[in-house]
Amino acid sequence: MSDTIFLIYLAFSLSPWIVSLIGTFLYQNAKKDTLLQREKAHSILNGDNLSTLSKPLLGKEVKEFRMVMASVVMSPSWIQITIGRIIAIFGGHINVFTKIIDWARREAKQRLRDDISEAGFDEVINLRLETATITRARGGKDKTSGIEIIAYGTAIKY
Amino acid sequence: MQPSVNLPFTNIETIPGRTIVQSMGVVTGSTVRAKNVFKDIGAGLKNIVGGELKAYTELLQESRNEALYRMLVDAQARGANAVVNVRFATSSVAGGAAELLAYGTAVIIQ
Repeated sequence: MSDTIFLIYLAFSLSPWIVSLIGTFLYQNAKKDTLLQREKAHSILNGDNLSTLSKPLLGKEVKEFRMVMASVVMSPSWIQITIGRIIAIFGGHINVFTKIIDWARREAKQRLRDDISEAGFDEVINLRLETATITRARGGKDKTSGIEIIAYGTAIKY
Repeated sequence: MQPSVNLPFTNIETIPGRTIVQSMGVVTGSTVRAKNVFKDIGAGLKNIVGGELKAYTELLQESRNEALYRMLVDAQARGANAVVNVRFATSSVAGGAAELLAYGTAVIIQ
């Protein structure tokens, strides 16, 4: 009898970690794949239409403009946070976090592309990327943490 | 959604097709938003698998619009009719609150 109770206890206490493991490898990869598809669908047609220059490259005349913004908050999974902490003991390059930040930036930039193609603009100039972290609330008891990325720029129409 | 102030604003140095005649100084707008407890629980669950925390993305979007709105109101109060070189800065205040600052140069265009 006590064995079954122990097993039930074990299953409940381990289940978030199992969910985290599945989520890290299946859910995140699926999301990244859809993002890649969206990026490809866009770049095949027009090339990349985001730039950090403050003027359009070929000196074209701007007919219409609007400031556009996109933001995203991404978080690493429990598994990734744990791996990151273990690597942080020895120092060096923490690949799991690099991947998450890279993913968040790509997602924010892709949202800008989707936004402007929907509104009929040609290009985004003067793109800026802003990063901030969400802190752990209440003395580290709350595990929620994330990276906020804001991408903003000026959408123009030739 | 905020009532919109109808001023053109860009994050490049000029307003395309117009000439700037006078600068009216730096205008700022900022807002601090705390997380909602209920959204916090949802985000905490989503945190297990990682990926996008939609509740926080919405929160950030709201505060961004609010900050922009305050900046534009400030510009209007100074008698400017456009804002150029708009920048955003974010920081996290303790307790999970996020601060968002929007600033730019208010100008008069012809």
